[in-house]
Amino acid sequence: MKEKSLWKDALGRLIKDKWAFGSLIVVLTYSLIAVLSASGVIAQDWAKEVGASNLAPGSEYWFGTDIFGRDVFTKVLHGTKIAMSVGLMTALIAIPIGVTLGALAGYYGGWVDDFITWLYTTFSSIPNIMLLISITMILGKGIFSVYVALGATSWVTLCRLIRGEVIKHKEREYVQAAGAIGGSHFRKLFIHILPNVTHIIIINTSLQFQFAIKSEVILSYLGLGVQGEPSWGTMIDDAKLELTRGIWWQLAGATFAMFLVVLAFNLLGDALRDSLDPKLKGK
Amino acid sequence: MKSLVLVVAITFLVFGCSKENSFDEREINLISPEKISGFDPINASDKYSANEAGKVYEGLFEFHPLKRPYELIPNLAESLPVVSLDGLNYTFKLRKGVYFHDSPVFKQNIGRELNAHDVIFSIKRLADPKLNAKGWWILDDRLVGLNEWRIKNSKNEKTNYEEEIEGLKVLDDYTLQIKLNKPYPQFLYALAMPYTFVVAREAVEFYGKEFLNYPVGTGAFVLPKFEQSSMITYFRNPKFREKLYPSEGEEGDDKLGLLADAGKKIPLVDKINVHVMVESQPKWLSFMKAKNDLLEVKDVNIQQSITPDRTLKSDHKEKGIRLIMKPMLDVTYFAFNHDEPIFKNKKLRQAMNLAFDRASYNRLFHENTAFEAQGPIPPGLDGQKKEFKNPYIKYDVELAKKYLAEAGFPGGKGLPTIVVQTRSDTVSRQQVEFFEKCMEKIGINIDIGMNTWPELVNKVTKKQHQMYTMAWGADYPDAENFLGLLYCPNQAPGSNGANYCNPEFDTIFKQATVLQDSPERTDLYEKLNEMIAFDVPWILGFHRTDIYLTQAWLKNFKHMEFNHSQFQYLNVDLEVKKQLLNKF
Repeated sequence: MKEKSLWKDALGRLIKDKWAFGSLIVVLTYSLIAVLSASGVIAQDWAKEVGASNLAPGSEYWFGTDIFGRDVFTKVLHGTKIAMSVGLMTALIAIPIGVTLGALAGYYGGWVDDFITWLYTTFSSIPNIMLLISITMILGKGIFSVYVALGATSWVTLCRLIRGEVIKHKEREYVQAAGAIGGSHFRKLFIHILPNVTHIIIINTSLQFQFAIKSEVILSYLGLGVQGEPSWGTMIDDAKLELTRGIWWQLAGATFAMFLVVLAFNLLGDALRDSLDPKLKGK
Repeated sequence: MKSLVLVVAITFLVFGCSKENSFDEREINLISPEKISGFDPINASDKYSANEAGKVYEGLFEFHPLKRPYELIPNLAESLPVVSLDGLNYTFKLRKGVYFHDSPVFKQNIGRELNAHDVIFSIKRLADPKLNAKGWWILDDRLVGLNEWRIKNSKNEKTNYEEEIEGLKVLDDYTLQIKLNKPYPQFLYALAMPYTFVVAREAVEFYGKEFLNYPVGTGAFVLPKFEQSSMITYFRNPKFREKLYPSEGEEGDDKLGLLADAGKKIPLVDKINVHVMVESQPKWLSFMKAKNDLLEVKDVNIQQSITPDRTLKSDHKEKGIRLIMKPMLDVTYFAFNHDEPIFKNKKLRQAMNLAFDRASYNRLFHENTAFEAQGPIPPGLDGQKKEFKNPYIKYDVELAKKYLAEAGFPGGKGLPTIVVQTRSDTVSRQQVEFFEKCMEKIGINIDIGMNTWPELVNKVTKKQHQMYTMAWGADYPDAENFLGLLYCPNQAPGSNGANYCNPEFDTIFKQATVLQDSPERTDLYEKLNEMIAFDVPWILGFHRTDIYLTQAWLKNFKHMEFNHSQFQYLNVDLEVKKQLLNKF
């Protein structure tokens, strides 16, 4: 029997799982929309008036039009770009912080561990949404602040997980062996231990993505997020005033788009855990 | 099964306790759409805090509840003051037999009679540098010696209230004299504003910092303690003096039933419940469930209650609900910051003004109930000629483009992106988004800056903005209140947030402000109004319309701009309420 690598094995299992595979397709589709929108191929004319204000969904405008007669469907597509970019940028900020701090704390222990543990417990003791609001208040509003605020608040879980895993691994034989043949701390930590905890990072990224998307929507709903362009949060904020008049399509468009991608990321995260975590293998 | 029993039990408990409309008490239910910032009159700067303070406290004067145009009538003062020929010396006679509410701050808990010292104390309190009152501007540099007293005491550790001020003299217990340092034709209006409501020194000293939560006034209603909650309940002041419901009003008031209570002693109800409700939908729903007697209809709720041809929807009519629509004395505007070099360019300002599509804005945000402002002065005040039409209040994209080119920015080239600061609520954001779309058509890029209300005020006060949006409501029925928004010495932190300075305007304004109401002054006001129309220091918006719904059983409600004193006259018809309630 041919030996499969860990990654090939995981991918095989992922594809066999219908739900996971579907989620992967959804996530890829969203990413494609985001890339196309960012590069100017689609949804560039979201600000254009295409018809009368507040037209109901129909064959011409699938999701109807908003108060200024703009196409809601185009706004949803544009919102996808914002949501996915927030997810990506947040992950890019949070993962290096979480991984580095977690690894250092777990590996060195002692006062380093004490300090980092203190830092992340303090961070996690502050209600997340409050922290987000205060960071956007300090940095000024706009998409950049959203990236930073979410990045700066969402590394805590990852840091905690990595720390635990590194503590477990650093006593293992293969690390001792690496030490015995003269490997430095750096080598032991980054060349030997980290590759063995990568699956945690991947699973966490998937979950973090949907947390970031949800938070962006909340911030924009509160008027603290994206300024001057449509995001799902501002669309839901608009809908607050429209619902009583029976105008439901902005809310429906934005929430459906959000629902689908958040669900997909959650399912994908679960599936990734099932297929990547060696302890769950065969269960 | 057990849980089901529990649910049933809890349901009974909850609904068993909830009081349905009771008919043994004459009570009315009102709404405050904002949280109340406390009951200290000197800080009652927003309309809603003023409305609550006005139920408990009183001023020397008030506006006649029925007569229009607005007429000032004596309230705690016995009569209108005697004014010296030069218009600087005012002698006031106080009404006898006015008592403060019973309160532990007084001897034996019994409210004492109000006297001239209380009035002087209340005015000094407004000027107290330690208190930094929001209402100080109405007396700033007006009374002889008051500013000097304020400056002197700002250095002292404790404000010295004992010191006599030349401009504030007690002649006897019921007589006082106030000396102005220059004519101030709006002075009596200032004495009808909440800032000068009369408070008792005992209460101020007894409660100290907590004074704002323990109102001890002379008004028709009593509130022993104010707590920041969703409901404020006032009770009738059992010892209220003999004050009668007016027996004359504007023409047509008797047909509307507004004179049915003429000559009766007020207050006419035992209790007022004020429900603090910020969100628009719950307010509207609770009114439609007869939980409230009066509703100010705004924004999105307009469509739910009113047909496009300005009448009440039929389901409302069946319930006996009445509609009151009256133009407001206000103006909305997009202000330029004239400290910014680009906005010194008049052609640019005019171009932006011409590109603003007011008709669509009115339809989208005011359901066509607002009126396009021709100048800063709202119709109904002297200074706004009926036939005056501002030549720049029109929507003409081509002309705007031409002006923009003449300004030196053809097609918007060379202009930076302009940030318009506004509030962060949904409607404010959409309004600036609309403005952004209008400016886009002539090539000007606009960004939205969203702020909480205090943040916005802060930016305007510190001149940290390029443009901002604002609405100004009249403090008293005089155009001076609006024209002052563009007077150079009122620059930020004053009310001229646009930092507009026009020496010609300032000269005429100064002349006008010391004149009593006269054709001469009206001429000057009209001149100033037109000057602004041509110079475009703001992009003028609208004069809005107040829309109220009242239940059939609420009596004596008449639209009033400065309505903080109006609630004492309200009445309720319990018979009508009983009959109509089954329709809700």
